Amino acid sequence: MIDSYYKFQQHLEREGIMFSFVGPVSHNVVEGVGTVLRNKMELEEVSMNVSLKVFSIFIEQIQNVIRYSADRIPQDNFESDISFGMLIVGEKNKQYFLIGGNRVTSEQKERLNDFLDKLATMNKDELKQFYKERRKAQPDEHSKGAGLGFIEMARKSSEPIKYNFEKIDNESYYFTIETVV
Amino acid sequence: MTKLHIKATKSSPEILLDPTTHQHTLKGESYPENSLEFYREFFDWIDAYIDTLEDTQEVIFNIELIYFNSSSSKVLMDLFDIFDDACEDGKNIAVNWVYNEDNDAILEYGEEFAEDYENLKFNFVVI
Repeated sequence: MIDSYYKFQQHLEREGIMFSFVGPVSHNVVEGVGTVLRNKMELEEVSMNVSLKVFSIFIEQIQNVIRYSADRIPQDNFESDISFGMLIVGEKNKQYFLIGGNRVTSEQKERLNDFLDKLATMNKDELKQFYKERRKAQPDEHSKGAGLGFIEMARKSSEPIKYNFEKIDNESYYFTIETVV
Repeated sequence: MTKLHIKATKSSPEILLDPTTHQHTLKGESYPENSLEFYREFFDWIDAYIDTLEDTQEVIFNIELIYFNSSSSKVLMDLFDIFDDACEDGKNIAVNWVYNEDNDAILEYGEEFAEDYENLKFNFVVI
C-alpha cells in the first residue's frame, strides 16, 4: 500500500486535478479549502470573473454535499451536520472542472434526477427566470433550499452540467455532478 | 435604537447598522454555515428600525459584497422585499449596490434585483 501513493498522486496530476477530497465535510472545510482555492487562482493571475465563478460553483457544490449527502452525522441543525462526500477541482485544456459526489437515497434520486433533467433543457435566460422563481417560493422541506444551488451552478457553468446516478443497493445511489468553467 | 456592528468572518460579511446616520452597510463575503441563523439578529434590527423610521428620513443601504451564495441571495431578496414595502408606505430608502469593475457576476445580480422592485431605488456604484 505504502508504495502506491506516489502513483496515486501522479495519476491525479495527469488528470489535471489540483484538489481532491473524500471524507467528512463541515463548514470549516468549506471556508478553508475555498480560501486556498481562491488564493491559488489569485497567485496564478486568473481573472476575478473566472475565479469567482469557480469559487461560486465550489461553494454551492460543497454546501450541497453538506445538505444532501445520505451519509451524515446529524448535529443540532442540518447545515451543521458532518456529511460525507467527494469534491474534486481540476484544470484541463484551459478549463476548470468541479466534480461532486455523495450517496443519496432512492427517494432523493428521483427528485434530484427530475430537477436536473429540467435544468438541462433550459438556456441561460430560462435559468435566470427559474432562479428568481425558486428564490421567491418558500423552500420545501425536502430540498432544504429550493434547489437554488443547482440552478446557480448551471448558470455559472460554461457547459451543461453532467450528472450521474450509480445504483449502490435498493435504497441508495451514488450521485455525481460535474460542472465546467 | 442602538447601532449593530457584527465583524466579518471568512464566510460572513461585516454588518454595520447605524440609526443615527441612517447609513447602513453589508460588506464582504456571504456564504455562512446557516444563513437564516446568521441573519436573524440583522432582520430583528431592520424590522424594529423600519417601525421607528420617519417618512422624510433619507436612508442609504450599502451592499458591498464581493461574493454571496444562493442562500444569501434569498436573504438579500427578503431584505429588499422589506425595503420595497416600506418605500411603498412612503419611506425614503435607497440601495447603493457597490461593485468592483472586474466583478461582472455581482453587477449582474444587482441588476437582476433592481429589475424586480418598483418602489425601491438601486444606485450602482463602481469601485
